[in-house]
Amino acid sequence: MRRAPIGPTSAALLLAALTGCFRSDTAPPASAPAGAGAKSVSAGQLNVYMWSEYIDPEIPRDFEARTGVRVRVDVYESTEEMIAKLQHAGGAGQYDVVVVSDHAIPGLVKLGLIRPLDHAKIPNRVHVAERFADPAYDRGNRHSLPYQWGTLGLMYRTDRVGDLKPGWAAVFDASAQPGPFVLIDSMRDMFAAALKFQGRSLNTRDPEEIKAAGELILAAKKSPRAIGFEGGVGGKNKVASGDAVLAIVYNGDALRAAAEDDRLAYVIPEEGTLIWVDAMTIPAGAPNPEAAHAFIDYILDPRVGARLSNFNQYATPNAAALEHVNPQDRANPAIYPPEEVLAKMESMEDVGEATRIYDEVWTAVKSR
Amino acid sequence: MSARLPRWVTLSAAAALALLYVPMLAVAVVSVNASRHGFAWRGFTLAWYARLLGDRSVLEAAWNTVVLAAASTAVATVLGTALALGMSRYPWPRWLRGALDFTVYLPVVTPDIIFAAALVIAFSVLRAASGFFQMGMTTMIIAHITFQIAFVALVVQSRLATIGRAVEEAARDLYADTRTLLRRVLLPLLMPGIAAGAMLAFTLSLDDFVISFFTAGPESTTLPILIYASVRRGVTPEIHALSTLIFLATVLLVLGLERLTTLAKE
Amino acid sequence: MVARHEKAVRRGLLIWYGQLTTSRRLALRGAALAAVPGAWLLVFLIMPLTAMVAVAFAGRGSYGEVVWTLSTGNFRRLAGFGVLGWSADYLLILGRSCWVALVTTVLSLLLAYPLAFFIAARPRRTRYLWLAAVIIPFCTNLVVRTYAWMLLLSSQSPLARLAAAVGLTDPGSALYPSRAAVYVGMVGSFLPFAVLPLYTSVERLDWSVVEAAQDLYASRLRVFLQAILPQTLPGLTVALILTFIPAMGAFVVPDLLGGARYMLVGNLIQQQFGSSRDWPFGAAVSLGLMLLTLAGLFILRRRGTAGGAA
Repeated sequence: MRRAPIGPTSAALLLAALTGCFRSDTAPPASAPAGAGAKSVSAGQLNVYMWSEYIDPEIPRDFEARTGVRVRVDVYESTEEMIAKLQHAGGAGQYDVVVVSDHAIPGLVKLGLIRPLDHAKIPNRVHVAERFADPAYDRGNRHSLPYQWGTLGLMYRTDRVGDLKPGWAAVFDASAQPGPFVLIDSMRDMFAAALKFQGRSLNTRDPEEIKAAGELILAAKKSPRAIGFEGGVGGKNKVASGDAVLAIVYNGDALRAAAEDDRLAYVIPEEGTLIWVDAMTIPAGAPNPEAAHAFIDYILDPRVGARLSNFNQYATPNAAALEHVNPQDRANPAIYPPEEVLAKMESMEDVGEATRIYDEVWTAVKSR
Repeated sequence: MSARLPRWVTLSAAAALALLYVPMLAVAVVSVNASRHGFAWRGFTLAWYARLLGDRSVLEAAWNTVVLAAASTAVATVLGTALALGMSRYPWPRWLRGALDFTVYLPVVTPDIIFAAALVIAFSVLRAASGFFQMGMTTMIIAHITFQIAFVALVVQSRLATIGRAVEEAARDLYADTRTLLRRVLLPLLMPGIAAGAMLAFTLSLDDFVISFFTAGPESTTLPILIYASVRRGVTPEIHALSTLIFLATVLLVLGLERLTTLAKE
Repeated sequence: MVARHEKAVRRGLLIWYGQLTTSRRLALRGAALAAVPGAWLLVFLIMPLTAMVAVAFAGRGSYGEVVWTLSTGNFRRLAGFGVLGWSADYLLILGRSCWVALVTTVLSLLLAYPLAFFIAARPRRTRYLWLAAVIIPFCTNLVVRTYAWMLLLSSQSPLARLAAAVGLTDPGSALYPSRAAVYVGMVGSFLPFAVLPLYTSVERLDWSVVEAAQDLYASRLRVFLQAILPQTLPGLTVALILTFIPAMGAFVVPDLLGGARYMLVGNLIQQQFGSSRDWPFGAAVSLGLMLLTLAGLFILRRRGTAGGAA
């Protein structure tokens, strides 16, 4: 058998060392184990899993006051992280409602991680605006109902950058980088920015195009002005605190920060960008599907939907909620872009087998 | 022994201590600063601490951390001591003894992350096979116990080696049976070693991040996991306050234990 | 001693620690004690590591599921043959991790020796306070300590301002994420692990040997290398192990202080088990790390004993 790497003297010293001054002569061993119980599912509990800083804290509290169900919100910073949790860390058996980005939904259905919705329990679904009512990523809203929608763009500090030319060149063109900047730590979103800069579809399955986009991202990462990768919220916080002057973020996060500090601004790059929809789903093993359906129905209530959008500064897919949304938000082209701008945006789709190429290139980009 | 050290040794020691303490002191200072970002002093405030203590998720994480450490230490101490006794007091064949030694040393020489990753795989297999082992408090406690057993066993073994055979042989000569031997002779002698092992295990559990991070579930966040997740989004004053509190708790714990041991010796 | 008892065991009846008994009864008693912890370690330590070896040879489906085929694809990818053609990325990361671990260990030891001597030179009464001063960071959680460095190296901290004033960095930029920040963070994290074992050896130092060397007009360096170092060898070995192994698998420090710009093996593994959802590749990298760690330990131990014998 292999010899242990440390001999007996060393072992004795290791422990003498580690126990250092813990030379107790009388302290008794710890008492009997406290509640090392298995995970318990309380009937009155709802576990929600969504992007960070995405819900007004009052909304779960109101739901709790109304129904008696205790709501717990867990957060994630990227779609891949969320999928990993559902797929491997048993999240599919522990969360009741998960907010998922549109492109990931077909994959989750295929993996059997989310279950069909019982529309009878969600009467408020009729309020969903027509363009979100029967989406390509989830025909007939069998597995999801929309939560918010928005865009991907650039957030910057007007006091350090002045006027920024609204394009992805500020990130990918070394001569146009205005200062310390942050890339977004979300695989498909980062590729979307690179592919759009190169004038390609962000749903490409062509390995050469993906590889070229990867190299572009790598070059940006290697730039001395790049600070690193952060989630949308992390990037927003870096710009807000002054550690960076530019970040790739989602519109709502940027606008929420800009509302508190008018030195911050958000632009939609003119080469085109991503338009995304986040939707609420119920995982396959949800412990409390009753409360889950009730919660989804609650969010789709027009007043609650408006309150949500007023808080997180994203656009609501709820047609009936629109009339309760703040008028200045309603008129803000960063939240509700006009038709000509929307036409240049592309939705993200599930790319099936090609996901693996994206994954490998992403890992290579992050590791070099 | 010469008590006069060369100048450079003292300076170097001071530098080392500075390296260890300046960051934490900086955090402590900033945690009472009324400014949200940066170091500019804007007045003394305990507002961040107040906000912290009103935050339900922080309190829950603190509770989880303590429960995890206490529960795992308790079980690991018992199992580790039993393992040490079983290993060193009985004439196992060479190969078995070697295998046991190897197993006990494994957690010591394996980087945390490898062990954590292996556990993720194992729990997923066990979950598929049995339907239990959802990621949560249980899996975390199991993971902690596993590496703690090894450390406790090593500590107790070294203590057993120090005790030697003479006392036991004398007890046997006086017609002690195994139960009496264990209860009245061996365990009392072993107590300092067991206690030391328990304290080591407790420290390792409190200090751990990687293994907890990989085996945690949605309702079993611990303080380090909470801080890590929050830090990834951005540094906030509440986290400064939380870090300072954790640091103070550690200081109290260590000094308290020191006090106990010096008092006990007198 | 054990061999004699083994022979006695085979003969059936023996005297073990003063007790006349049969080997059978002994074995049963020993098994009763060691069975539960042994089984526990088997299920939760040996089995997971074996599973990891098995998974390293598996494949990955397009949505991140594990596909149970037997393939060496992951190891080939580790060696550089990826979808973008051959590149030394992962080998570089492994190499970088070894280097960082080595530098961290050496720097920690260089700082640990003077500190250990300093503490040993304190009067006995106050010595426990100084030891407590080292134990406190040792017990403080790693995330908390690393986070403290993030604060100290952030763009508004006095340190960053100083660096900008001196011209080392652009004004307004933080000192992390960067390679230097990772090194500083690593040394700061592992220093207590190096000091404590070293101190236990230093405390037991036989100063008469040192004085004898000095009496013989040996140079300071020789005094250290030949009178002090060999005596502290056991503590040094333990200190080496306690710093090198965690440093090899470090993940928190490079993640928080290095960002995506300075990736080490720990980050790579964490990524594969997290957002990349590529367990087989992660398992392969873990095995690579394990092999490197054991090799490194072996070499350091050889060097250590060789140096001691000189």
